[in-house]
Amino acid sequence: MNAWDELIWRCADRRRKEIGPLSDQAFEELLLAVRENPEAFVDHTPERALLFMARALDAYRESCRNDDLLDDESFERQRAARLAALHSACQRARESDESSLDANLLEVLSQDPAPDRLLDVLLELEKDFSSDEPPEGDAWDDIYYRPHLRLRAVVARTCLDTAHYRMAQSAALSVMDATPADPLGARHTYLLACARLEDEPAFDAACARYSHQESAWSHLARVLLLYKLGRMSAARRALRGYDELCRGGAYALLRPTYVEIYLPDRPDAAPCSFEECLMAVREAEPIIADVPDFIGWCQGFDWLVSSAARFAERNDLDW
Amino acid sequence: MAHDPKREDYLRLSLRYALELDAADTASAARAFATFGRRFARERDSLPQSDADRAFHLVALATKIVDYQLPFAAEPAAEQLIARGRALLEEAVSLDPSCWDAHRMLSASRSTSVDERYRYLAEQVEGVRVACEAERDQAVEDFGGERAALGATIAMRPYWRWLASMAEDALICGRNHDAINAAERLLSSDPSDLSDVRFTLAYALAKLEDEGGLEELARRYETISPARPANDAWLLLARCSLAHKRCDYAAARAVVRQLLETYPGCGFILIRQGELPDGEFARLRVAPYSEDELVLAVSEGVVLLQEGNDRGGRGVFGSWLARTVAELDPRSAEEAARMASGEGVQGA
Repeated sequence: MNAWDELIWRCADRRRKEIGPLSDQAFEELLLAVRENPEAFVDHTPERALLFMARALDAYRESCRNDDLLDDESFERQRAARLAALHSACQRARESDESSLDANLLEVLSQDPAPDRLLDVLLELEKDFSSDEPPEGDAWDDIYYRPHLRLRAVVARTCLDTAHYRMAQSAALSVMDATPADPLGARHTYLLACARLEDEPAFDAACARYSHQESAWSHLARVLLLYKLGRMSAARRALRGYDELCRGGAYALLRPTYVEIYLPDRPDAAPCSFEECLMAVREAEPIIADVPDFIGWCQGFDWLVSSAARFAERNDLDW
Repeated sequence: MAHDPKREDYLRLSLRYALELDAADTASAARAFATFGRRFARERDSLPQSDADRAFHLVALATKIVDYQLPFAAEPAAEQLIARGRALLEEAVSLDPSCWDAHRMLSASRSTSVDERYRYLAEQVEGVRVACEAERDQAVEDFGGERAALGATIAMRPYWRWLASMAEDALICGRNHDAINAAERLLSSDPSDLSDVRFTLAYALAKLEDEGGLEELARRYETISPARPANDAWLLLARCSLAHKRCDYAAARAVVRQLLETYPGCGFILIRQGELPDGEFARLRVAPYSEDELVLAVSEGVVLLQEGNDRGGRGVFGSWLARTVAELDPRSAEEAARMASGEGVQGA
């Protein structure tokens, strides 16, 4: 979530509504002016809540930067402290504007509740903030609708994490239908759910819908799907594809690494990058655990293991 | 129903015995048959039998050891039981290279993973089918009349058990379509489901969150098992997990209530969720609706219970089930706690 961008756009939009119709060019200039000094344009409650969150998210992200240098215990301490800080900031934001779905959502997420509890709270939030049909066209273009899309994408991921796979599939699909460009990457959740449900037609249709643009999720989900369907030579080729086309994919799969919770969206990462692989493996974890011999099967391929070892050596990672 | 190796052993020999008696006159046949039971129990070797019959007898002995004694044995007795069971099975295979039960049971200990075992079973299943069907046709020819039907089913049983193992292994490996295929193959070969594979099928359908498929299976019970309605622990747990998966907690609770009514006094089993090794010969024989049956269903149900990211480590549905049972039946929670602390004392 780029809170600053959305804040700037919302401030400019409010100003435009106050002063009357503006040409596109004039609006662009207004946007530039707001960007120079957003705080000066924040004079209503919803924007103020968003401003709290933008600052709190900045502080949160800033405090993550030195994590690599910490031992486990200090990391846990630091993490708890920064989540608590984010939580209380979001709580303040929500108290100042109860109607802010983003504030409500971040308040819940920053508490880092148990996954099943999180799902219950998210479904409650969906009820409390039930909205009309998504706007015409790409719903992402309606900045006021974005919180609904974000919540739906979080619901889809949480369903996947808690083994509610049909729900994960349908929540993800509703996001993909509302915003075909899928900036939230709901298709990644969708593909993993298809793999777990051994739903090959849905998997293929989703790949075709996005013109076979691959990601760490699509590669990994394909391996899992084919493995579960018992098509072992196709699964091996898919694993080879994952290894060759996803940077560090072998390492991420064989040495699962802690991935921080998303607040509220996945961080940006280049397609098929190591960062994507880490996220994909983390999100697929319940599905991988459900195929108990899968990792053993992967480890049986020397090329995968040596690829992971090479990646570890080149990047100074534990092996 | 379920498979009973001892009874099957008896049926095999009685069929063969009856065949030999056909040549004799009626009076001496009746006399001879009256002594069969005693001879079966005490002088088995004096009865006519083939190598296949002898091999099956060894399988029955191995089953008693591996499936019914081993789970309750402590080291070092367990090691001895394992070795004894394996020796019996190896002897069975050397007596009768077509002793599919022995091959199948040995494959479990020879495989390094369930996945490898599953692939072995899947690769061999066609050969087993062909061999068992040939055996069945031969039996029909040899016996004729009423005995032909019994001879035919006995000939097919190793194939049925093979498919039942395939279905169970596929389910454990997370290959749910494969589990469904194996189960359906078995049901079409044995529509009255001696193996109770429909229980495994219910779990595989739940894993795929196939609500329509599960309800269709419940309707099929009427033809598959007219004597037993669709209220066994497997079907109920599958249905409960599906309600839970669509977050319909009221419906899921209603199924838990039904489980507690169907298996009275067994709530603690749903809370403890213990795991048992699967029977190697076949699913263990237990009384319908007994405590033991629920133990088996819960043990096989770990594929449903333990799924999902759950901080308690039980799995999302497993945690929910334990909590819900404790709410609906607080006494069973006390009982489960008492048993857990008893184990603690023992362990200390």
